[in-house]
Amino acid sequence: MSELALIIEDDEDLANIFAEALRGVGFEVEHVADGKIAQERLKSGSAPFLVLLDMHLPHVSGGQLLTQIKQDERFANTMVIITTADARMGEAYVNQADFVLIKPISFVQLRDLTSRLKPKDQS
Amino acid sequence: MKMLFERFMAISTADPDDTRRRRILNILLVSIGILSLLALAASLAAIFLEVQRWENVKLLIIGSIVTVLGMLIIYLINIFWSGRVAATIFLVFLTLVFAFGDTPEQVSDGRSLFAFAIPIIMASILLAPWLSFVFGTMSGVIVSVIAVSIDRVPNIPAIAGFFVIALVSWLSAGNLEQALKELRDINLNLDKVVVERTQALAESLARERIEAGRNQAILNSIADGVIVFDRNWNAILANPAVRSMLEISRDQVAGKNFRELIQQPGLSPHGRDLLYAMMEHETQPPSFRIEWNGKTLSVSAAQVYDMRNDVNVNIGTVAVFRDFTREAELEKLKSTFVAIVSHELRTPLNAILGYSEMFKETVYGPMNEKQVNMADRIMKNTKRLLGLINDLLDQAQMEAGKLTIQMGPVKPAELLETLHGLMDKTAADKNLTLTSEIDPNLPDTVNGDAARLQQILVNLVNNAVKFTEQGSIRVRLWRPKENKWGIVISDTGDGIPPSEIPYIFETFRQVDAAATRLHGGFGLGLSIVKQLVHMMNGEIEVESVLGEGSTFMITLPLVIPEKVAVRRS
Repeated sequence: MSELALIIEDDEDLANIFAEALRGVGFEVEHVADGKIAQERLKSGSAPFLVLLDMHLPHVSGGQLLTQIKQDERFANTMVIITTADARMGEAYVNQADFVLIKPISFVQLRDLTSRLKPKDQS
Repeated sequence: MKMLFERFMAISTADPDDTRRRRILNILLVSIGILSLLALAASLAAIFLEVQRWENVKLLIIGSIVTVLGMLIIYLINIFWSGRVAATIFLVFLTLVFAFGDTPEQVSDGRSLFAFAIPIIMASILLAPWLSFVFGTMSGVIVSVIAVSIDRVPNIPAIAGFFVIALVSWLSAGNLEQALKELRDINLNLDKVVVERTQALAESLARERIEAGRNQAILNSIADGVIVFDRNWNAILANPAVRSMLEISRDQVAGKNFRELIQQPGLSPHGRDLLYAMMEHETQPPSFRIEWNGKTLSVSAAQVYDMRNDVNVNIGTVAVFRDFTREAELEKLKSTFVAIVSHELRTPLNAILGYSEMFKETVYGPMNEKQVNMADRIMKNTKRLLGLINDLLDQAQMEAGKLTIQMGPVKPAELLETLHGLMDKTAADKNLTLTSEIDPNLPDTVNGDAARLQQILVNLVNNAVKFTEQGSIRVRLWRPKENKWGIVISDTGDGIPPSEIPYIFETFRQVDAAATRLHGGFGLGLSIVKQLVHMMNGEIEVESVLGEGSTFMITLPLVIPEKVAVRRS
């Protein structure tokens, strides 16, 4: 079974590109485009191996979602990669997230990074 | 009574000497007239009371009447015709009275001799000083003739005495006249001077009033608020515009110290700090903005100097306030607009960038070389466009005052590590080497805004890569002074023409249009770098040799973070 990557991103195109990069590495991808829906999703369902979290989301901000993830023990082993266009915001969350990627995020960059993160013992 | 007497004695003439003489003559005439009337009254009383007989006092009565009439005639001549004629008649009359009023013996050599002194002295006072000699001579002749007529030898010593009296009278009257004349001249001059001075004063006052009125009118009519302060920052003058702008009454500003004035609750604390700074520094910034009662005001101040003994003396300050509210709102609106548009532009470009990269990486199957190349060109152009939008966004944020600096501890080593991570590939793509070094005396941690410092480094290195065709780009972090640290970025590129150096930090400026096409970008990068450096209280300089390369030097204040922590606690 492949690892689950949860993409929380309101821009459909970026979500597509990220999903393609992650699938290329071998992740199973789940996409949520809205902060509120993401909040609900995080309350139940399986814990993803990796969350790609956009900071600027409708209804509920990425920051709130990050806090929620950090407080939930089920996500203790979940890696969080923050994506944002605002370098300053990225700076603010650099200690809470595993990685901060500043947009524009290169397809190759994301593919290479997640490829390194993905456990090698599988498959 | 006194007024009646004054009117009775009054003489109307322009010559003050003549007036004086005629007044004295009047006094003499009146006194002699009164004496004669008294003598007449006494004689008549004596007859009436039968103390004397008519024959005995006949001469006295006739003499008195003649004298009173004579005095009256002379008085009328004196008042209405001529003082000189009156005085001459009076003196001749007096001399004749003395000559025939007594026995010839007494006149020629007895008690009446001395009476002649009176007209001699009077002549010098009433007519002219030299006429005392005329009357002296006349008296001498009369006395001699009378003496001879009764077969006596004239009294020569007495006649000589007349001349001595005449001499003394002449001298004293002459001196008196001279003294009076001088006094009159002095008075006259004084009057003239007073008149002149008064006129001059009146003119200058009128001129000043006109000028002050004109200045006041100008000051009242200009839309800018003006306050004039003296050297101690007490308000001397405030025009109506400034009063309505600052919403203060005349009493709240007139004569008040500026420090008191800026305690108004409507003034923002930041504005108050700026105004304090304005008071404390001799050299003023060109202008700055403050928030006052919800208005944005632009303030500029100029020191007023007075040249005294070739030394400029500061005599005060003129502060000009301009209502900038509307302009500030428009600026903010523009910046918000730019920010929104930039965001909206960036989102699809990020998508284009990602998709074209996927093409290039042949995610959906193999492509031929030309197709890969094309995808690469799409990527590069998209990046260029994104770079421009990022710059625009930064510029807009800076103008809106939204871009703020967050100072904190910064590790120079981390700055360089990130820089290499971001820029090594960009440099390598152009076959350039990017090297960096940290001076050993630079602390491990310095104070600054890490994200902005990173942005500065990336912008400058990007710029260096853009304008360098071969060679290297060197980044050096060092400590030029005990309390400064700096960034030096040198390249081996084209260099910048000296004439262009002053303008390279301006918004939308690049050395020439051809270079813009060749290298891409609009030259916002350097302008943003400079603004960021200034926001961190730093300075940026550039040195360049055409064909050899350019060096950008940034100097920033060095505050060891530990010290900051101590100060905060």
